[in-house]
Amino acid sequence: MAAERWAPAGPRIPRNSLALLMVAQAAVVLPHVAQLSPWIIAVCLFCGYWRTRVYQGRWGYPSRLVRLGLVVAGTVGVVLSAGGSVNLELFIAMLVLAFAFKLVEMHTRRDAVLVIMLSYFIIATEFLFEQALFIAVYELVATILVTAAMVGLNQMHSQVRPFASIRLATGLVAQALPLAVVLFLFFPRLLPLWSMPLPGSARTGLTDAMTPGDVAELGRSDALAFRVEFDGVVPDYREMYWRALVYSDFRQGTWRTRQEIPEEPQLLRSGDRDVGYEVLLEPTAQQWLVSLDVPFRKDPRTMLTSDFRLRSETPVLSVLRYRAVSGLEQTRGLELSEAMRQRETTLPVGDNPRMVAYARELLARTRSVEAFADALLSHIREQPYTYTLSPGELPKLNSVDAFWFDTRRGFCAHYAGAFTYAMRAAGIPARLVGGYLGGERNPLTGHWMVRQYDAHGWSEVWIADRGWVRFDPTAAVAPERIEQGPSEALRGEERAGLSLFSAARFNAGSLFGRLLLVMDSLEHRWNMFVVGYDQETQRSYLANLLGDLRPGRIALLMVGAGGVCFGLVAFVLFFRHRPAPQHPGVRLIDRFSRAGARAGWPRTPHESPQAYVRRLGGSTSLAPALVSTLAGDVEMLLYGGGEGDRALLRRVATGLRRLRLRLVLGGAT
Amino acid sequence: MAATAALNGILLGKAGQIRLALACLFARGHLLIEDLPGMGKTLLSQALAKVLGLSYNRVQFTSDVLPSDIIGASIFDRETGSLRFLPGPVFAQVVLGDEINRATPKTQSALLEAMEERQVTVEGQTRALPEPFFVIATQNPVTQGGTFSLPESQLDRFLMRITLGYPDPDAERELLRGGDQRARLLTLRPVLDAGRLRQIQEAVDQVKVSEPLLEYVQRIVARTRQGNAFAFGLSPRGALALLHCARAWALIDNRAYVVPEDVQAVLPGVVEHRLREAADFAGHGGGALAQRLLADVDVV
Repeated sequence: MAAERWAPAGPRIPRNSLALLMVAQAAVVLPHVAQLSPWIIAVCLFCGYWRTRVYQGRWGYPSRLVRLGLVVAGTVGVVLSAGGSVNLELFIAMLVLAFAFKLVEMHTRRDAVLVIMLSYFIIATEFLFEQALFIAVYELVATILVTAAMVGLNQMHSQVRPFASIRLATGLVAQALPLAVVLFLFFPRLLPLWSMPLPGSARTGLTDAMTPGDVAELGRSDALAFRVEFDGVVPDYREMYWRALVYSDFRQGTWRTRQEIPEEPQLLRSGDRDVGYEVLLEPTAQQWLVSLDVPFRKDPRTMLTSDFRLRSETPVLSVLRYRAVSGLEQTRGLELSEAMRQRETTLPVGDNPRMVAYARELLARTRSVEAFADALLSHIREQPYTYTLSPGELPKLNSVDAFWFDTRRGFCAHYAGAFTYAMRAAGIPARLVGGYLGGERNPLTGHWMVRQYDAHGWSEVWIADRGWVRFDPTAAVAPERIEQGPSEALRGEERAGLSLFSAARFNAGSLFGRLLLVMDSLEHRWNMFVVGYDQETQRSYLANLLGDLRPGRIALLMVGAGGVCFGLVAFVLFFRHRPAPQHPGVRLIDRFSRAGARAGWPRTPHESPQAYVRRLGGSTSLAPALVSTLAGDVEMLLYGGGEGDRALLRRVATGLRRLRLRLVLGGAT
Repeated sequence: MAATAALNGILLGKAGQIRLALACLFARGHLLIEDLPGMGKTLLSQALAKVLGLSYNRVQFTSDVLPSDIIGASIFDRETGSLRFLPGPVFAQVVLGDEINRATPKTQSALLEAMEERQVTVEGQTRALPEPFFVIATQNPVTQGGTFSLPESQLDRFLMRITLGYPDPDAERELLRGGDQRARLLTLRPVLDAGRLRQIQEAVDQVKVSEPLLEYVQRIVARTRQGNAFAFGLSPRGALALLHCARAWALIDNRAYVVPEDVQAVLPGVVEHRLREAADFAGHGGGALAQRLLADVDVV
């Protein structure tokens, strides 16, 4: 191995505090593992191993040339594995790599301090990716570890005790917490100063293309999609159709969303069943938001589209909290523009000929749109169709034909897709809607959780005089899905095939299920009050508190609250080291001595209380007998075992007060 | 108290030292009297033994005194044909060790073992010493020629060390005018006896010590253990000695509880020979340190 070729200047890192520092480094990098390429993790581990060998004295530090090679190779590697895109993950990978290289370059105390500061920074970067409660708790622990490493670095070489360092670091971090809360609450939230490159990793959730099969994947995922808190009235389960996306374009067996038609959404107030709610949407990296039929725009950060959906202005990268109000009996789109009609009736030419012929024939028989829809639904009901999450592959071409006439196995996307296709084939405007159906109530907090397995697809058909009307063909084959949720609609091995967590959630009665509910409640509160505390919330909160949001007032509030925090810490420190005297007599004498000192008659340290009383008493006009009695009482109280005697205590207190009064009066003349 | 009055008649102008010496004995401790030759050390120790009404022996230490001269030896008895133990002067209720620091360390330690254990071991046989057992030792200051200074561990066994000092002019005038003090010693009558002394010693144990006073004593002890003026702090035995002497002092004052003044009165006698200034390598004692403790440590 290369010998150490240059002697670094400056004090060395204490050998025994290095271990704690390495543990802290590992703890800091750990949550980033999900975002890093495997080779970077391997480099980190190797550098850790190298450092351990150096610590044992087996290997040497790398020479300057080796280090240069490592840095160049690492940079090239990071850029190559990013595949040409410049995003946040690239920078994080670069940072972590440099952090790992620093391990084999740390010689002096100064290097170690640099690594510690870098550790704090890396802790902060993790919150760009995740803001969940458990991550916050984890990073708090990591902060304590890093602080402990710093404490260890400043200890004497011979006295490094890791657990004592950790205890001290915990105390330090605990003292900093109140100030952190104040800054969190009051420090103005700035808009991002630069545009953040998006994390490249895909999120689970609905996408802008729905091939029957996609939703099946979602149906097996128990990841949380969003949480809802209703203001008052909670709609029926069968009315909880959370609309997210509208698919208007069918090609090659796949439904896709289309460019939005820039039209004013036409709403007609009909019925007064308004439902207000607040949604905390988990990050999707997309712009769609969920809402019940039919939403009004309530939140300045949301937009209402011409197909009556809510949309976010920017992709949702962290938990987004927004308010919405929906009119459940609202009529929408009474007038259908030509562009819209055109869009919602288009089908690819030549695809699914059997379905087209079947639909035209059926419409000719039934004549009205409602009757046509009923006929389709009763077809599904009466023929041997099966609801299943594993229907098997369908061909790209003639997929609807294959499902409707041959396989007859499928789930919501198959039924809704075929239904919409039949409508369009008959020339009736119709579209496929993707979203979520229902949800699950957490009895502890009262909010509703909607998970990916609640994903659902249904149809909307435009009927003259009624506007867009919702049809859910899945109800025809599996009414339980609509009434009670996905677990009721499945049977046998499909139900068992759901993962352990889903299974436990489906049985909320079990202990494990209950634990999950508690965790969910905690997470929900965290999202509501911490993650959801954004610029808007802060503004309204501060406006409530201050009335007027002038910078001066905010600064004053921060200084005041920060001062209170520092004051609290100072108070605790001060009183921890100065316990109040316990003996009542000692307390009395302490107070009396202070008063005497103020009046210009301080007690010398070696003067006993009774001697002090005698001396002061002699210098006033108090009767000598009284003074002598008082001195005797003081002596009795402090030393003669009179501490339990209430009357004596009162006598001494009165006597001392009288003496003090004389002293003050005498001093004044 | 009668004992105090009787002693005051012998050693003129030394009322404080006499009270300290009595307090030391009431607290079951051995006493070391240190001063220049001719200050009345021996007179005081003789008078103490006499007034207390106890049997006493006197050992005059010189550099050729051997341990067997103090604790005794077995001699061959020709009549019985066996060894017979001849007890040394240590077998008495009060042993006056005059000029103890003129003896060699070996001889010193023979006496000092007896002081701590209140028994002596001669030729494998342990013999108990009489009850009560006091050692009143006198010594010249170590700067005087021909002395072997006692090590700290042995100084620690003396509960108190007092110095007499020059008498004040009035007392000295009276001394000069008056007759032979030795002659007056002969006329001294015992005021106490062993039984009465035991009662007094038990009464000392009953003297009450309050919490604030304990805190004061602890503050004193803590002060000796911190800072760098002190070469070493007071041991727990030193703290106990201080408290016990203060109790005896309070009893002499006819009080059933200890007040800070009692502690202050006995403090120099009890702690001076147990402390040493950090800068004092010869080990001349901590007189200045004791004064500092008195002045600086807060009473409450």
